[in-house]
Amino acid sequence: MSARRDAGFILYLPAEASGKRVDVQQSASAPAPPGGDGKNGVVPPFERIVADYGPLISRIAMSYEADPTLREDLTQQIFLAVWQALPSFRADSSLKTFIARVAQNRSISFVTKQVRQPRLAELPEKLEADTLNPEEEAIEMNEREMLLAATRRLPLPQREVIILVLEGFSYAEIAEMLQIAPNALALRLSRAKAALKTMLEQGA
Amino acid sequence: MTDFDLDRLGDVWRQQPDPAELARLQRTAIAVARRARLSAIVDICAAIAVGAVVIFLVVTNPKIQTVAMGTAAILVLLGSNIRLRKLRQVELKGLTGTTEEMLDQSIARVETTVRHHRFTLLVGPTAFLLSWVFAAVAIPRRDLVLGSLGDLVWFRPALFGIAVTAVAALVLYLIVNIRRGRRELARLKAMRDSYRQERESLTP
Repeated sequence: MSARRDAGFILYLPAEASGKRVDVQQSASAPAPPGGDGKNGVVPPFERIVADYGPLISRIAMSYEADPTLREDLTQQIFLAVWQALPSFRADSSLKTFIARVAQNRSISFVTKQVRQPRLAELPEKLEADTLNPEEEAIEMNEREMLLAATRRLPLPQREVIILVLEGFSYAEIAEMLQIAPNALALRLSRAKAALKTMLEQGA
Repeated sequence: MTDFDLDRLGDVWRQQPDPAELARLQRTAIAVARRARLSAIVDICAAIAVGAVVIFLVVTNPKIQTVAMGTAAILVLLGSNIRLRKLRQVELKGLTGTTEEMLDQSIARVETTVRHHRFTLLVGPTAFLLSWVFAAVAIPRRDLVLGSLGDLVWFRPALFGIAVTAVAALVLYLIVNIRRGRRELARLKAMRDSYRQERESLTP
C-alpha cells in the first residue's frame, strides 16, 4: 500500500461531483477520475478511491439495504472488502468496474445473512440541491426514493443489471463484469426495465 | 413517475450526496482501513511474540520435551497462518468473481459450518459424558485437581451442575447456529437458483 494511505484523513473533491450525466454508451471514453482509474496499473491511494467512488459504494449499499443501521454496517464491510481486494486489482478492467463488482458481491453476501426481507423504508440521505428550488427538490427526492424502493424489490439478477446501468456502466462493461453474453444481458435488462417500469407506475 | 427513461433515471440515481455526507463516508472508510491495518499489525506482532517466547523457552530449557513442544507450537502457528491465508484468498476470489461464483463459495462455506456444528453436537455431549464417567470411576476423590475440595459433599454435584449447564449452553448454541445456517443456506440456494433460471431462460 502507498505511504499516502497512512497519511490520516484528507478530504478530496469527488470526481463525480460535477453532477454531469455519464452516457451509458460513452462511459468507456469518459475521462478518468483525477486519482486515476487504475488502468495504468497504478492503484490510487485509498483516500482517493473513497473520494472518487464513495458515492458509488454508498448507492450500491443503499440499493441492497434499506435499514440505516444495517446499511452503515454494509458500507463499512464494502470499504473493508475494497481495501482487502485492492492488492489483487489488475488493470484488465477499470478500477470503477472492479469496485462496483466487489461492492455488489459484498452486498449480496450481506443480504443473504439477514433473516428478514429488506425494508422499504425511509431514505435520510440529503441530496445536493444548489440548483433546485424546494419544490423541485421534493419531486427529485420522491423520484429517487421511489426508484430505490422499486430497485430493492427487483429479483437479484435483474437488480444487479439495473444498478450497473443506472451507475452509467456501458453494456460491454456490464457483460464483462457479470460474465454473460451481450444478448443475454440485453434480455435480462429488458426484463429488469419492464419490472421496474411496472413498479414505478404502481408507485413502487 | 410514468415516463420511463433510463438515462433520466440514471441522473436521478447518481445525484451526489452533500459534502457532509461525503466527509462522513471518508471518515468511515479511513477508520475501516485503519482498523484493518492495525489488525494486520497485531497479527504479525502476536506471531512474532509467540515465536520468540517458544524460542526463549527452548534455549533456556533445552530438553527433548521442550524442543518437541516448541516445534509443535511453531508448526501449529505456521499451519494456522497458512490456513488463514488460504481462507482469505478464497474470500477474495468470492469478492472479485461473478455473483454465481460468490454464491457457490458462500454455499460451500455455510455447508461446511453446518456440518462442523452437527459433528460437534454429536461428539461434544458424548465426550463430556464419557469423560465424566471415566472421572467418576477411575479418579479417587482426593486426586481431583482441587484436592481436599473433592471431600465436600456439595462439590461434585455443583461441579456436575456447572458442567451440565456449560454443555447444555453449547448444545443450544450449536442448535441455534445450525438452524441459522440452514436458513442462510436456503436463501443462498434460492438466489443461486434464480441466477441459473435466469441464465437458462436466456440461453437460446
